[in-house]
Amino acid sequence: MSLVATRPEPGEARPYAFPEIRRASVAGGEIVAAHLPGHLLASASLLLDAGAARETAGREGTAGVLAKCLEEGTTTRNSAAYALALEGLGAELSTSVDWDSFRVGLSVPVGVLSRAVALMAEAARTPRLDPADVERVRDDEATALRMDWAQPGPRADAALRADLFGAGERYGRPLSGDPVSTAAVTVEDVTTFHESWLKRPGVLLVAGDLDRLDLEELGAAAFAGSGGDPLPVEGPLGVPVAGARRLLLVDRPGSVQSTLRLGHRAPERAHPDYVPITLAATVLGGAFTSRLNHLIREVKGYTYGIRADFAMTRRFGRFGVSSSVQTAVTAPALTDTVGEIARTQLDGVTEEELSVARTWRAGSLSVDMQTPGSIAGALATLVIHGLPDDYYPTLRKRLLETTAEEVSAAAAQHLHPDALTLVVEGDAALIRDELAAAKLGEIITSEV
Amino acid sequence: MSAQPAPVAETGYPWPIETARLDNGLRVVVSEDRTAPVVAVNLWYDVGSRHEPAGQTGFAHLFEHLMFEGSQNVAKTEHMRYVQGAGGSLNATTNPDRTNYFETLPAEHLELALWLEADRMGGLVPALTQETLDNQREVVKNERRQRYDNVPYGDAWLRMLELLYPAGHPYHHATIGSMEDLNAAGLETFQAFHAKYYAPNNAVLTVAGDVTPGEVFALAEKYFGAIETVANIPAAPSGHLPGPATSPVSETVTGTVPAPRVYLAHRTHPFGTAGYDAITVLATVLGSGRGSRLYQRLADGARIAQPDYIGSYGVDLAHAPAPLIITATAKDGVDIATLTEGVAEVVASMATEPVTEAELERAKALLTTAWWRQMSTVAGRADTLSRYTTQFGDPASAAYRLPQWQSVTSEDIADAARTLNPESRVTLTYLPEGPEA
Repeated sequence: MSLVATRPEPGEARPYAFPEIRRASVAGGEIVAAHLPGHLLASASLLLDAGAARETAGREGTAGVLAKCLEEGTTTRNSAAYALALEGLGAELSTSVDWDSFRVGLSVPVGVLSRAVALMAEAARTPRLDPADVERVRDDEATALRMDWAQPGPRADAALRADLFGAGERYGRPLSGDPVSTAAVTVEDVTTFHESWLKRPGVLLVAGDLDRLDLEELGAAAFAGSGGDPLPVEGPLGVPVAGARRLLLVDRPGSVQSTLRLGHRAPERAHPDYVPITLAATVLGGAFTSRLNHLIREVKGYTYGIRADFAMTRRFGRFGVSSSVQTAVTAPALTDTVGEIARTQLDGVTEEELSVARTWRAGSLSVDMQTPGSIAGALATLVIHGLPDDYYPTLRKRLLETTAEEVSAAAAQHLHPDALTLVVEGDAALIRDELAAAKLGEIITSEV
Repeated sequence: MSAQPAPVAETGYPWPIETARLDNGLRVVVSEDRTAPVVAVNLWYDVGSRHEPAGQTGFAHLFEHLMFEGSQNVAKTEHMRYVQGAGGSLNATTNPDRTNYFETLPAEHLELALWLEADRMGGLVPALTQETLDNQREVVKNERRQRYDNVPYGDAWLRMLELLYPAGHPYHHATIGSMEDLNAAGLETFQAFHAKYYAPNNAVLTVAGDVTPGEVFALAEKYFGAIETVANIPAAPSGHLPGPATSPVSETVTGTVPAPRVYLAHRTHPFGTAGYDAITVLATVLGSGRGSRLYQRLADGARIAQPDYIGSYGVDLAHAPAPLIITATAKDGVDIATLTEGVAEVVASMATEPVTEAELERAKALLTTAWWRQMSTVAGRADTLSRYTTQFGDPASAAYRLPQWQSVTSEDIADAARTLNPESRVTLTYLPEGPEA
């Protein structure tokens, strides 16, 4: 007997289905729920139109400070009592702020979800926001950001973002602010942000065994005391393309690796080319077998990993590549990376590469969406981008049917290798001359 | 107001489990669940960095990389392409105890995953080339730079292991290993490593998800049945230690870190013992969440520690007394002595101030949610069953962990806390360079 030499054929595919979605209007708010019969855990998330884009200039980080303040006690109990009540149910609040939304969520055994949602809403709607607590949390957040910014990456990200969106624009500043802007946040910034944006009902997302959950009860708790109309959605920002490639050098003396961040502007999430754009990025730098990972990691051994993607929000998108490479190979790694982007833009993708990208992305819809938390996240995408209830089955079908011609056309149209901003965070003294010799673009010293 | 406790679970594993053993010794575990059209395939090989002799550190982990680089019937890079091309996700990890390989796929691709796993279990050596070895050595060196060398406090775990376990102990060296050892070894050494440990009788194969046990057992026989048993697999060096450390050890590192930080560490009990269950609950009471003693007393109360960087946790190692690690980072203007003393006082309080009912219920509720979160994916279930089969000989024993945590009493925690005395403690301190230090 010996090993089986030939690759087995797949069995018959099980039909794909996204969990049944139920919608309800309760107590002035909207609930979007997914039914997961038999699941022992359940998730709930309050989705509020209060993303980082709503922060005041120079005070970037306000929403993050507010998110942390939600657990510093409510109008009815102090922070220690709140922590014990919530964690006594086995729940921990997860708060997150992105460009489009402010989310407060939790996952717990299904039997205690209604009690957990009541506590979640108590924190989101009626936080104590004692001025001394807000100032302390603000200082802690500024310190935590300083800790984070001591690691490689955040400064390079900030340099890229400022270059692509403009240092004076909110979208040109870091999503979570920087240590300086966070330190500048005042108590009034935080209370005003809460008053303006967190008292609107928003949308409650629920994922769990709906036979064991009462949506009316959950909605009544989530929307109690809220009011105000949904906010208007502003249009996309467009896709300006730079006239030439440029290289921003961020000095990190003594660094044993160079952190690479490459990028340019791209369309927003609702753009009709979303599926072919996603597939092009998967071939270029999404899958482990992508062109970039194959060349830079598997062939050259320059890095532990490299990836490319299109990050797309309601109003803008950006194409980006990120990696960390050994200092001595910074210039060749960068040259090879730009080369692969240019090749993909020019020649498109092959059917062989695309077939992997297609089935991977389609399969991921089943593989990645097993838990109530991930299903609640999928519901958030529907709400934020105004997508229909049959979106995921439709997306799966489109992923599987998109042709190489369509994906190559999207790569040709949406990749701009000659307009890239190349950010290199590393030991400038060791790499500057080599980067200049590589002639990848004008070198600018970044003072991030 | 105290919360009503979450209901006590009678079992932590309410799904069916069936097992079989192939003639070559491969243990096969199946847990059927038709909820979603996906399957998880998980293999534990009973080889980790604890098996590495002096001069061969980092081998187990480098081997994990080589297992993705092609085998007898799978060309280089095809492994990843086939799994992702089937819509699957995959990875592998190495720790001191073991190496695991796992993928989750749409259920119709189960056979592909078993074929790939069998081919690299039974047919890796003929495909292993010098070029692949050289390339993956460079990738691992970059992994070390990215994870440990280029990050503030990144080498804390490496240093703590050396301080916690005596030279020659299987946990003394870190899994990432020494780059000198990796450079020094030739292709034959790695081929020999595979031949020695990657054997059907040294592995557990678990499949969880949308499939019947009968199908899995037949496919396991079809793909793995031909692989030969390996006789005389060398055991790891003994992890036995005569007891807790008898004198305190301290190390101070001055470097490019943004704030002073302290780690206190103790050797406790092996994962899977009643003693370690008590440590797990103790660590949760002490340092998990905003309601924990460390957070309440040092981040919220005395306000000497940064709230995002305080906590305690056990590292679940099973072949010697496992580490309990407690850490805190100073707020601006707080000196390291104040911080270290504060943390030590809170640790001491676990023995002197009885854990209250509310503290205990909070910890158990958090552990319960964490357990069900691990069980909420087929991949999490498969990894758990592989662990309990490898380490305790019976996948069904996974069901006991949650009830055992729930049965820990405040007296058990006080008993465990009394062993965390300063005489057996490792203290690792980081100080920023320059005037702040």
